[in-house]
Amino acid sequence: MIQPLFAHWLLLAIFLLVQPAFAQPETNTWGNFQFKRLASGDDDSIKAAVQALKTSSQSGYYPLMQALFNGDLYRSENRTQHQGLVIIGETWEDDYGESQAPLHTAYPEQIPILYETGKPVVVPLFDLIKIESGRRIRTMIQPYLTRMELFHPDSGKRRQAAEILGNRGDSTAVSILQTAIQSESNSSIKRQMLVSLSKLQLHSSDPQTRLEAVRRLGNLNDTFVLPLLKARIKADPNGVFPEPDSQIRDQLHQAIRKLGQFSIFMQTVQTIFAGLSLGSVLILVALGLAIIYGQMGVINMAHGEFMMIGAYTTFVIQELCVGLLPAEALDWFFPLSLPFAFLVAGSVGVLLEILVIRHLYSRPLESLLATWGISLILIQAARSIFGDLTAVKLPQVLSGGYEIAPQVILPYNRLFILALTTLSLLSLMAFFYKTRFGLKLRAVTQNRDMSACMGIPVRRVDSLTFLMGTGIAGVAGWAMTLIGNVVPNMGQTYIVDSFLVVVTGGVGKLAGTITAGLGVGLINKILEPIFEAVYSKVLILGLIILFLQSRPTGIFPAKGRNENT
Amino acid sequence: MNNTYKPYLLGAAIFFFGLITPVLNVLGVFPDTTLNLWGRYFCFAIAALGVDLIWGYTGILSLCQAFFFCLGGYAIGMHMLLKTGPRGVYGTALPDFMVWNQVESLPLFWEPFHTLPVTLLMVFLVPGAVALFFGFLAFRSRLQGVYFAIITQALALAMWLLFLRNETMLGGTNGLTDFKTLLGFELRDPATKRGLYIAAFLALVGAYFLCRFITQSKLGKILIAIRDGEHRLRFIGYRITYFKMFVFAVSGILAGLGGLLYVPQTGIITPGRMDVQASIEIIVWTAVGGRGTLIGPIVGALTVNLLYSFLTSAFPGTWLYFLGFLFVGVVLFFPKGIVGILSSLRTPKLET
Repeated sequence: MIQPLFAHWLLLAIFLLVQPAFAQPETNTWGNFQFKRLASGDDDSIKAAVQALKTSSQSGYYPLMQALFNGDLYRSENRTQHQGLVIIGETWEDDYGESQAPLHTAYPEQIPILYETGKPVVVPLFDLIKIESGRRIRTMIQPYLTRMELFHPDSGKRRQAAEILGNRGDSTAVSILQTAIQSESNSSIKRQMLVSLSKLQLHSSDPQTRLEAVRRLGNLNDTFVLPLLKARIKADPNGVFPEPDSQIRDQLHQAIRKLGQFSIFMQTVQTIFAGLSLGSVLILVALGLAIIYGQMGVINMAHGEFMMIGAYTTFVIQELCVGLLPAEALDWFFPLSLPFAFLVAGSVGVLLEILVIRHLYSRPLESLLATWGISLILIQAARSIFGDLTAVKLPQVLSGGYEIAPQVILPYNRLFILALTTLSLLSLMAFFYKTRFGLKLRAVTQNRDMSACMGIPVRRVDSLTFLMGTGIAGVAGWAMTLIGNVVPNMGQTYIVDSFLVVVTGGVGKLAGTITAGLGVGLINKILEPIFEAVYSKVLILGLIILFLQSRPTGIFPAKGRNENT
Repeated sequence: MNNTYKPYLLGAAIFFFGLITPVLNVLGVFPDTTLNLWGRYFCFAIAALGVDLIWGYTGILSLCQAFFFCLGGYAIGMHMLLKTGPRGVYGTALPDFMVWNQVESLPLFWEPFHTLPVTLLMVFLVPGAVALFFGFLAFRSRLQGVYFAIITQALALAMWLLFLRNETMLGGTNGLTDFKTLLGFELRDPATKRGLYIAAFLALVGAYFLCRFITQSKLGKILIAIRDGEHRLRFIGYRITYFKMFVFAVSGILAGLGGLLYVPQTGIITPGRMDVQASIEIIVWTAVGGRGTLIGPIVGALTVNLLYSFLTSAFPGTWLYFLGFLFVGVVLFFPKGIVGILSSLRTPKLET
């Protein structure tokens, strides 16, 4: 849809006034003449009119040209309200099956045509005559539309237009790009426009312009222009360079080197970020697992399913909020569901501890198997209740990402999980080392029997540990809804990896879990581009086994005499 | 658990499954499909015996037994595909899936599987070697209990992912299928199926007596000692690593043997047989039947799988619930499984 005239259009208009080269006999009569030619419906007249309007740079023709391009431009004849060219809005069928179309003006801007009573004018589509635009006419219009969109109020359109103009290689777009750059307020789009401008100027006849363009490209850090630059210094079989000037060629070499370094740097940044991101997910998943394992020696095979419970809780809260919250505040469901995710998963966890785990103390292998059975039941329950595929809507704030360089974007949802993991770790540390319960918990972890002798209620500590561990799993599931669908077996995705993290990290030490999680995440992402994802998984397993050769109890083994019991 | 060993019961079972059912099948009373089903369950029972040996007797929980099962299955599958040769859909010497994947020549590691004796040798060598190597690394660094379970589970997961790929030349997700003959016998022929059934049964009986021999020897006592007091045994001076490696290898070979006999009877082997859950299911069979006894895993494998085929047809969708509750229930309330329940029913009578 065309939006009302905004500042960008105004700027374009100002530019056109001060640019004599663009000045044209833009009187109403000239315009009316072109409109008549368009309205005639004769193919050649339309072509001539388009050709004429195209060279005009008055922004007022944009709606009309776009409507012609989209096939929405019509001629209205026998309507007294508006004769001549109109743009139709979205049509609908009335009770008799006839298409009805609301009318819009075609020039100078697209606004609904109203009766004097303020009601929009709607006519049967049948009464209008379509201005046909064949493929050739549309090809004629396309470049015009792109140039005009450099000033479009929608920033996405502006960016796209700038990219297209740069790639098309039409040097006549140089001056309009220069104007657009002056009026552009968004720095990222401005950079894109500068890149496009410089790309066009690479082929300029003026050596000074070319030199400046190369210098600019070298500084703009857009690695996508690398092939273009390389092509300029590649000699053809006769030894002739596309770039004749040797001084500029030197500059090109310099720019290529600079961009190449930047590209490697960015790849490193991205790999590290991907590794940290995966690592943070693994840590978040492994945290609860590690707490429970450290405390009771129980590997909770249903841990992934507690994540799943957290994710489904988020989903349910979202569905409830659709009716309760106003549409613009709907995104608040996400922070709102955090405590619920923790509590629901945590209470199921406590239930599991009381009903099953409590009876299997000092039989770690049996509790491993029992929790596996629980996981089967939970997966199947989720499948019967929710069906197979549901998703939580990504909150608006977390969509998109932070652009650290052109085309290098760090997604906000990944950054969020990174932050969440850090926060969870810090609060757990505070909990372990600053609260009385944390003290008891560490005591039980170190020596269960002695703690019981000292009057610590071991059983209650166990229940609370399970609440914490499974609650954190619920929080992890809550966060997982940001990066994937909510499916019954979603817990299985990271679970084996996070088991490995716990084993590699060592028992009962948060530091071990952090180190192992980050290590596995980073190594995974470093290996992935070299080998494929599957082989890097196999390799990591191999590395872990080798690592356990020298440190069989993990990076940070629990100290004390009871490590072998 | 010598009191559960009843020679006449065992003899009756061997007589029934090894002679009566095949004869009834020849006479047309016992349906082919049921016979085939039982044949497959015997293969599962062989794998379960292996699990019992390592978990029930030695106390080591290995979560990659289904991987060993599939090693045996893939070996015989490769052999049968090579024997299918020009009878495949494309009529080339290469297996069909290689033709789809535009593979020009047979990968080198397929070559040994042209002949059956080498294939059979591989069924024993490959799982055995993998178990010895992996076991050496794991047991040498004294990985035990939960750690070993998780490492083997990760191994199973990694191998599963590897087998899913097309470029590992094992048929990818679709696995190996469309077998025609074994030893020149048509696989579709009821007589061949009967033969395979008897072979599976004999293998099961053989595996049973092998495990019986192992567990009743001095070696078996050491295995039980590892389960009950590993550190004491180590301090006495036993090299526990080697015993563990041995039992891991034997259980791997038994699983491979099960896979070897399983695949000709089902006609397909896919990576789905070796995913994380598959290994744990073998453990359930053992747990349900009663670990630490030799008849337990056999009873368990047969019972659970019969229940599976009954429940999936009678109440679809309830199987996972059932399996889950069975798991939790057995672990919580009947740690000795069906055999344990039966013998505890009988014991009071003997005492009165």
